[in-house]
Amino acid sequence: MIRYDDIHLDYAGKNIFSGFSLEVSENEKLLISGPSGCGKTSLFKILLGFTRISSGRVLYNDREVNARTIRAVRRNLFYLSQDIDFRNAPVNAVLDEVFSYEPNRGLVPMPAHREHLMKMLDLGDDILRQDMQKLSGGERQRLGLLVCFLLNRPVWLLDEPTSSLDKKLRRKVVDYVMATGKTVLIVSHDDIWRKADNLKIVRWS
Amino acid sequence: MGAHDIEPVSLALLFLFLIPVLWVSGRFRLALNRTILWSTLRMTLQLSLVGLYLKYLFKFNLAWVNGLYILIMIAVASYTVLKSSRLKISKLFGPVFLSILLPVATILLFINAFVVRIDYLFDAKYMIPICGMLLGNSMRNNIIGLSNFYSGLKESEKTYQYTIALGATRMQALAPYFQASIVAAINPILASMATIGIVSLPGMMTGQILGGSIPMVAIKYQIVIMLGIFYTQFFSVCLSLLLSIRQGFDKFDVLRKELLV
Repeated sequence: MIRYDDIHLDYAGKNIFSGFSLEVSENEKLLISGPSGCGKTSLFKILLGFTRISSGRVLYNDREVNARTIRAVRRNLFYLSQDIDFRNAPVNAVLDEVFSYEPNRGLVPMPAHREHLMKMLDLGDDILRQDMQKLSGGERQRLGLLVCFLLNRPVWLLDEPTSSLDKKLRRKVVDYVMATGKTVLIVSHDDIWRKADNLKIVRWS
Repeated sequence: MGAHDIEPVSLALLFLFLIPVLWVSGRFRLALNRTILWSTLRMTLQLSLVGLYLKYLFKFNLAWVNGLYILIMIAVASYTVLKSSRLKISKLFGPVFLSILLPVATILLFINAFVVRIDYLFDAKYMIPICGMLLGNSMRNNIIGLSNFYSGLKESEKTYQYTIALGATRMQALAPYFQASIVAAINPILASMATIGIVSLPGMMTGQILGGSIPMVAIKYQIVIMLGIFYTQFFSVCLSLLLSIRQGFDKFDVLRKELLV
């Protein structure tokens, strides 16, 4: 489904990695592990078209990710960034805005479904009225996961998705992610993922 | 009746105040003395030159010469806008030039044709001073608009990209930066329009009164110029943002870093 084919990445004249290849099948759950700063997050940004590689190619469903295909590819990806970079506005307004974007129209969640997910993620109704900037790291992360689960796109790119959650919630999130029929790429230092069944681990050396 | 002429020696007297300014600035270690002297010198030389060539522009009063002069003024303004906004001149000169030219030319010709109703639309006496006022003001607000937009975007590029990843189009993701930059750019003129006459007596009106116009005529011209400045600023900053966006992003909707100097 996703293929990184002999890719090379340079940043500010410095080589970050070279000759990296990886193939991810549909519905696969894959944990990419490796030391900080080795370019794991860049793999997500390359697939999203925000970081350009120096050579090699990236394929999504056998189609090369390029200027012509990038918008179609992006609508299939959900990216949970490490800092959950939602713009600063009341949470409600941001959620409404997300569901007003053309690829997400028609995905407006049923209230019962949203409530169920919010409950699972320990998110109360009051959070919807707060400003994004005032939320704690943990709240933002849970909100990011809520949007991920609601948009329900085929591929999830999760960057440290459990770093700000307590133990109970981490368990719930891992179980939920592992049980979905989605293709999931995870970058995480959290050992809880390693205990999950059916998780493929790619060690980055 | 014209304004009372100023003797060169009397004009020179006003430069004496530079001495205490330089002394205070030196004591406070503002490291500004060279700049103060350089700017004062440039202002004096440039205005003296303007005095000389305006004399001939007014004398010949040829449409193509006046038009060419205005194009040069706009080119210099565009260059200054990009230099002060720390944006790449070679990439964005065209969009900024057009963004200033279109509103300035439209408003200027409209004022000459339908408001002041002069027979010769390209009359230097009207065209050049009014254009100078429109341009000077547009230049300032384009600097505010463009630098606000691109520095805001650079600072929060992750948020912009995240919005794109969530499904927004480039314009949807840029909308908050666009809105904030336009507001920042036109706020000064709105504040100035709201307090004019109470807090400040504007330069054009003062000039006309000194030149012998009766206050009511001077006030009418001032209203014309304030509206002209406001419309020009508003459309010019909207256009310069919109047209620069076309150059400022690649096909992946990523901000071209090479545009930022």
